[in-house]
Amino acid sequence: MSSLRELQAAFRAALLVDDEAAVTPTIVDDDVGVSARLAIYRHHVFTSLTAALEATYPVVMRLVDRRFFGWVADRFVRAHPPAGPCLTEYGDDFPEFLAQFPACGHLPWLADVARLEWAMNVALHAPDAVPLEPGTLRALEPRALARLTLRLEPSITLLESPWPIDAIWRANQPDADGVVDLEGGEARIEIRRVGDDVVFRTLPAGTFAFRAALSSGRALEDAVERALDAEPGFDLASEIRALLDERALAA
Amino acid sequence: MHPSGCGIGLRAPHVAEVLERRPPIGWLEVHAENYMGGGPAVRALERLRADYPLSIHGVGLSLGSAEGIDSGHLERLARLVERLGPALVSEHLSWSATGGAYLNHLLPLPYTDEALDVLCANVARAQDRLGRRLLVENPSGYLRFRDSSISEPEFLNALARRTGCALLCDVNNVYVTCCNLGGDAVAWIDALDTSAVAEIHLAGHAVNDADGQTVLIDDHGSAVADPVWSLFEHALRRLGPMPTLIEWDTDIPALDVLLGESAKASRRLMKASGVVAA
Repeated sequence: MSSLRELQAAFRAALLVDDEAAVTPTIVDDDVGVSARLAIYRHHVFTSLTAALEATYPVVMRLVDRRFFGWVADRFVRAHPPAGPCLTEYGDDFPEFLAQFPACGHLPWLADVARLEWAMNVALHAPDAVPLEPGTLRALEPRALARLTLRLEPSITLLESPWPIDAIWRANQPDADGVVDLEGGEARIEIRRVGDDVVFRTLPAGTFAFRAALSSGRALEDAVERALDAEPGFDLASEIRALLDERALAA
Repeated sequence: MHPSGCGIGLRAPHVAEVLERRPPIGWLEVHAENYMGGGPAVRALERLRADYPLSIHGVGLSLGSAEGIDSGHLERLARLVERLGPALVSEHLSWSATGGAYLNHLLPLPYTDEALDVLCANVARAQDRLGRRLLVENPSGYLRFRDSSISEPEFLNALARRTGCALLCDVNNVYVTCCNLGGDAVAWIDALDTSAVAEIHLAGHAVNDADGQTVLIDDHGSAVADPVWSLFEHALRRLGPMPTLIEWDTDIPALDVLLGESAKASRRLMKASGVVAA
């Protein structure tokens, strides 16, 4: 084979799609055999990446059982190999993969539970942020305030689901019995890191709409409008106070 | 603080205990890619580096990638190195990334002039950005390429000569590679340019059966094997006392088990430096 680049592409094909045709002639054959030797590398790639997904998605694994999870993970790794070496960042598109995966069609809430676990993983590893000081906001003119875009600190995710994914998550912790009322209704959840711990809680409709709007980069005025649509009694002043008290805004 | 004596590879299950007990460990080595985010993990390391010499061991730079190393990942490594100020920074003689996919393994290279040029360019670029000497580790091998025309130790010597990088001699990997691919582990060690070696790794391996043939797997999942201790003693006779690391990554045992392995290595290190242990 003419170049290292081609050899590496051929090796990748052997590991990820079991196509050993191009790489086999480049490898010394002996009693063990080229396929068996390639299988050693392939085995490590798949077991280590499956372990990374298990670490990020323990509740999904419990919900579908370990063997099924291993099979889904195998399919996922082939279709979506990691783009980089930090494995805590691997699997952001796993929830969407589950949503589209035919064999999971009878578990309509599974992808949203996975989104919750991904948000918890993001929170755990998010960069440490400097919180916004209340004085910064007090110094602003009311009109400038309306056009202002407040940024939530980087560990926060706002997640909405028609399923009670918070209850499903709690019921499937290692010491819990797995029993949950699937008719428990929709969930509007804020996930974040506080100190060293990842926490989540449900928010009222107005607060959720407001923070979700800020989270997607909308200006304050726009976020207030959305909050009032969701909950006519939404009170901006107390919400801003809460965000500052919770150190939830980034400087 | 520069590493000396025997250190351990610090893994997540032991971080809290090391913070609490502060056991006498020569130095600590961590995998770079586990500390590239924020949060409690990297904060714990900032506390530990005040008490222990630190080594940052990268597993994801893919120094053997023909397409070059990923500049985004090199930047993150450089920022981590700036944040933690480790005494040593090391990587591997292998590749993991091609065509935008990261294959999460230390994959083998053909030892050719072309591959040597690729390695030299990538190591030079990494050293330029990091502003320091990199240590490059020999991998565990499970296959050989027909095109390979240079022996592994000669390839490493040439890399060190051309880039000024140092070498990390993983004695378990030497043993595993030589058993799997046919080779004399002692001769492998003897072929290494002693002046370039700056660190030694030790770990356990698994003994597997592949269709009646024995294949050793470098799984870092058990105690260091007896023949690897012997090879380590040989390496010390040749290289002199050298910062040595115990790695254990699968079926991670209690911290004290790791410290016991570290004490075994320390006794051999003391013997090599002429100090007789009591």
